[in-house]
Amino acid sequence: MRVPLFKTVYDAVYYGFAVGKVRVLETRIFGGGTYERLVDAPSFAEQKRILSDTVYGRYLENAENADEVEAGLETALDDFYRFLAEANLPEPVVRFFRVRYDYANLRAVLKARALGAPLEGMIVGLGIVPVAAFEGPAERLPAYLAKVAAALVDEDGRIAGVEAIDATVEQAAFADLVETARSSKSRALRDLARLMVDVANARAAIRARRRSRPASDLAEGLLKGGTLRIRDVEKIYALPFAEFVDALASMPTLRGVDADALADPSALDVVLDNMISQFLRRARAVQFGPEPVIAYVMAREAEVTAVRTLLIGRLAGLDRDALRSRLRELYV
Amino acid sequence: MKDLFWGMAGADWALLGGGIAAILGGIGSAIGITAASSAIAGIVSEDGEKFGKLLPLAAMPGTQGIYGFIAAVLVLIFFNLLSGEIDIPAAIGFKIFLACMPVSFLCLVSAIYQGLTAAAAAGIVARRSEDSGKALIFPALVETYAVLALIVTILMLTVLQTALTKM
Repeated sequence: MRVPLFKTVYDAVYYGFAVGKVRVLETRIFGGGTYERLVDAPSFAEQKRILSDTVYGRYLENAENADEVEAGLETALDDFYRFLAEANLPEPVVRFFRVRYDYANLRAVLKARALGAPLEGMIVGLGIVPVAAFEGPAERLPAYLAKVAAALVDEDGRIAGVEAIDATVEQAAFADLVETARSSKSRALRDLARLMVDVANARAAIRARRRSRPASDLAEGLLKGGTLRIRDVEKIYALPFAEFVDALASMPTLRGVDADALADPSALDVVLDNMISQFLRRARAVQFGPEPVIAYVMAREAEVTAVRTLLIGRLAGLDRDALRSRLRELYV
Repeated sequence: MKDLFWGMAGADWALLGGGIAAILGGIGSAIGITAASSAIAGIVSEDGEKFGKLLPLAAMPGTQGIYGFIAAVLVLIFFNLLSGEIDIPAAIGFKIFLACMPVSFLCLVSAIYQGLTAAAAAGIVARRSEDSGKALIFPALVETYAVLALIVTILMLTVLQTALTKM
């Protein structure tokens, strides 16, 4: 029998230090005001000056071009992930955040080989597998990656097409995330993995239906491990688009999501990403346990994405309106 | 023939009651302080200036251990156990044991919950230092019930002391 008080006390003691740190650190996460200042900054140098007083200051002090910004922000993100391990979070939680980059790197390697393109600058050092390992043969990668690579290479050594690489690697990555979340024994992480699968499936189903792709294609593309039942989606797939979206929005997984927003291509990503934002808001409100730490690291991930968009956008010569619209795509 | 109640003499019951009060109150306080201190240590590691405002929150669950200690000392004083006169009838001794139970169990449980409340309240101080006064109120509310339990135990011990004097 699980006694809630025992678990609460255990979580309060085990994660207490990390949660305490997070309570201070989350006050330093950028609000709208900082983003506005970064958008309004007339130059990259001014943006750097604004960031110099923040956690990003030391990572970007020597950055002068897009590559150096990327490298600086990658180091910042690496440190945020390191915090997960320092915060006593179980190993699978750390893996959950890092393993996605291994799959992204694998995708980059396979695509580069399929297209005969150079790999330079495509590999990020945020995964579990060292960057150097991706430069060698795919068979020498850890088994969970080598297996995926092997499935995409035929007997003659030819690599599958880009679309097949995307689909296969994504399926494998999500399956790994679901399994990693399950092994973490963290309910919060299991819920998050399930939600990520649901969001990906809902997005894939709506896009496939809008393009009137055959139902068989959809069934192959949907990911396992979510709460959105694939059979139920297949049943409503034959309906006209508007009715299909209404039916999808009425499913328990997407309850509360506006059907009109799901049908609008420009609002689809925002409304689905908001489901994850809502989850993170709930996680931040949890007092004892790993949830606030997970929510903090994910908030930092989103922040890094926004900062990268603004800095590299400014370096590329984008004006304020263009930067603001790109930011809005990230945070509506 | 020796006066026994469930195989124990009056002084044994009295000492057991006082001992349990001190032990359970102490256990509760230790757990409560650890729970609160873990979160507070995390906050202080990032913002050392908040130490002064957070210290009362960490210390608050410690009072239950003191209440248990007070109950134990009162048993020793009220019933002359310190003087070595341990002539307590077994029935009275058992009642002394029962009188110690409110403070024992309430202090155990309330100290743990107070520690959890203090850890949560520390989050308020982490965000807004100026709200440290407000943050103190929530764990202080939990304290009320430990104080009430101590009062009940003291009243019961007083009644038993009077009864013993009249015997």
